[in-house]
Amino acid sequence: MHTNTGRRLLGLSMAVLSAATMLTTATTASYAQSVDLSKWSPEYVKSIAGTKQFDAAKDCGAVVPNDYTGSVSYWYTGPFEADPQIAHDQDKAFWEAFKAAYPNITTEVQSITYNELLDKFRTSLLGNSAPAVIRLQILGGVEFAAKGYLQPLKPEDIGLTAADFWPGALKSVTYEGVTYGLPTNNETMALIWNAKVFKDAGLDPENPPATWDDVVAYSKTIHEKLGIPGYGLVAKQNAGNTPFRFMPQLWAYGGGALDEASAEPGYKDVWINNEGSKKALQAAYQMYAVDKSVPTSALTNTQGENQAPFIAGKLGMMIAHPAEYAKMNDLASKATGTDKTVADEVVANMRYGLIPTGPDGKRAVVFGGSNIHVVKPEFVQGGKVDEQAVKALICFWDSPEWSTKLAWVGSNPGNVNGFLTDAMKERLDTIKFLDVTTSMLPNGIPFPVIPQAPEIMNIIVPDMLQNALTGSMTVDQAVEDAATKVKAIVDGGGGI
Amino acid sequence: MSTVPGQAIFRDVPEPRRVGLSQKVWNSRFDYLYVAPALIVMLIVIGYPIYYTIELSFFNTPASLALSAKQFNGLDNYVTILTSPVFWKVTWQTVLWTVLSTCFAFMIGLGAALALHREFAGRGVLRALLLIPWVVSAVAASYVWKWLYHSDFGAISAMLTQVGLIDKPINFVDNTNTSLYALIVVNVWKEFSFAMIMLMAGLQTVPDTLLRAAQVDGASPWQRFWHVTFPHLQGVSMVTLLLLAVQNFNSFIIPWIMTGGGPAGSSDIWITHIYQLAFGRQRWGVASAYAVILFLVMMVLGYFYVRALTKGDDARAGA
Repeated sequence: MHTNTGRRLLGLSMAVLSAATMLTTATTASYAQSVDLSKWSPEYVKSIAGTKQFDAAKDCGAVVPNDYTGSVSYWYTGPFEADPQIAHDQDKAFWEAFKAAYPNITTEVQSITYNELLDKFRTSLLGNSAPAVIRLQILGGVEFAAKGYLQPLKPEDIGLTAADFWPGALKSVTYEGVTYGLPTNNETMALIWNAKVFKDAGLDPENPPATWDDVVAYSKTIHEKLGIPGYGLVAKQNAGNTPFRFMPQLWAYGGGALDEASAEPGYKDVWINNEGSKKALQAAYQMYAVDKSVPTSALTNTQGENQAPFIAGKLGMMIAHPAEYAKMNDLASKATGTDKTVADEVVANMRYGLIPTGPDGKRAVVFGGSNIHVVKPEFVQGGKVDEQAVKALICFWDSPEWSTKLAWVGSNPGNVNGFLTDAMKERLDTIKFLDVTTSMLPNGIPFPVIPQAPEIMNIIVPDMLQNALTGSMTVDQAVEDAATKVKAIVDGGGGI
Repeated sequence: MSTVPGQAIFRDVPEPRRVGLSQKVWNSRFDYLYVAPALIVMLIVIGYPIYYTIELSFFNTPASLALSAKQFNGLDNYVTILTSPVFWKVTWQTVLWTVLSTCFAFMIGLGAALALHREFAGRGVLRALLLIPWVVSAVAASYVWKWLYHSDFGAISAMLTQVGLIDKPINFVDNTNTSLYALIVVNVWKEFSFAMIMLMAGLQTVPDTLLRAAQVDGASPWQRFWHVTFPHLQGVSMVTLLLLAVQNFNSFIIPWIMTGGGPAGSSDIWITHIYQLAFGRQRWGVASAYAVILFLVMMVLGYFYVRALTKGDDARAGA
């Protein structure tokens, strides 16, 4: 009797499990393996764009029924005044589409500026008045995951699989083996150069430097021939711009802060004083202190300060976002008189290329973007999180269609199936050089996914650069000093 | 009852009864009521943050832990700070920043006040012009000066190059040897107007008759200044110097916007260092201990400021 009952129960369990597995498979298999990341190149990106149609309302309806009644609060950095009109239009269209797909889900949405979002979120968590869902910049979430504020959230929760995201992007939301969020958009930077400056300096105007050693040599040539800075080095303290531009160089030479550039990073080994890191720092020192071929103001410059000399034709190369071309166009449109002539000429001669490699052919770039997270109920206003409403919102936001449209201007869809959409094709047709910047994505490396990463990247790395470039320390001393500091804070200590 | 000549009239009047504290409080109940709203607001927005900062200064707050899970570590944060060479380097820079900014702003302000105290055509316009640095937003001024100083395209270097004084831009702020002094110049420019206004007000109190008498007695302009004008300015000078010193110890905007404490920490002062520890590095415990040290220094300065401000009050009250 017991045996029969047991068998029946076992059979029933197996049936339920099989059905659940099939259901999961049915909902998760819809996008998987549609995009072959191993073939990634500008040509491949162009060839797949516009080849598949998606219906976010229908797809998400399979995860959360479209007639579900509930509510969700959400904070993110939406478009602000300075953003192009298309960003505002897409944002508005998203909320209208979501309302149409889920008419019974009430949304309470706040758009908060990039600089304010983290501090506001921290404060709201201390007062148990956080939103249920928040979108943070790529490494913003790890601090909160480590401190226990976030709920686990994996692709399967919204009907997707890991194959629908860049592996590097998923790595950035994984802390101690648990996934605490989903990537919404990802981007990588590229090398931008002024072909006219290259030509005037006797360099090949249509081919960028292939390696970082070439960057040093090109920068020197431009400075010697034209008397202007060759490469827009950025080394300001406490500024995210600095690690975003220096870490690709450090990684290319085989260095790193920790072992984030390795295949299986454990974020325990300190690499900032290895031979690769020393070579990268030496290259920066060569440009700043020996050749003096980069802006003297590099120590107080952010990327914003590179834009004025670049549009004035007084800077040869720089590392920048995909949106830099639009920014230069904007600056040119506002220029007048002879400035306008120069600016238009610069825009016409602007070129995008892959970020140079290290001596061994290693190409690397910081994996940028944003992730969406769910907060634990006890820290949310009202003490409750409506899980179904949350899933509906995240599913909709991360659908191929909307993750592409919402990243229109300066990024790319976090859901890689977005590269198949018509919207992606339209972006490629209208945004110059987008194919180049997207083709850097496979080389993307996320910063270490540990709560100490902001201090390592924004404080210790720029300090190391400044100590070496100003001559306050030798290159060897600067890397050893940085290594001591990195080790101390990873071990839970650290001086001041 | 008759009064005997030579005897005190009020000898038999009983001594006033000693009033207890509770009675005093009760007698002044309406005074307390009037200041209560201000006191409550101060307790909330000043008192509690001070208490919390002091409490937090005894805890370790690693980046991997929520603030509610902070770990008590006694005086470790204070030891970490006081034994760090970085702290002493930043302290020396803070002292330089404060002393040089205060002294130069005071001296230039005094010179401007003395010059503007005299009658001459266009004095009003000049007064208004010299007030501009003080009324301009510190944030805006910092950005303007950043471009004036810019090490590659700075307006100052461009002008000097045009008149042939230099052949390449001067590196004002991207140089560890000059950055702090470059910032002090900006700070002095921003603050001297304040000293000028205070001292101009002080000059109004110098009796003209004394100056004329000294002139009649054959005193030189310097002697008139040193022996007549300056002694009358001592009170206002003390207050001005202390206010400037307090303001400079707390300076944040100019160094933060112009250099962010760099390059290589050469223009870091206490406030920028605390800010970076707290908000750049999320090291709340150490930053709080640092802030407590700064708070104590400010309290000492505050004590002298109040003393200078109330000097003579007792005498006046007695009169």
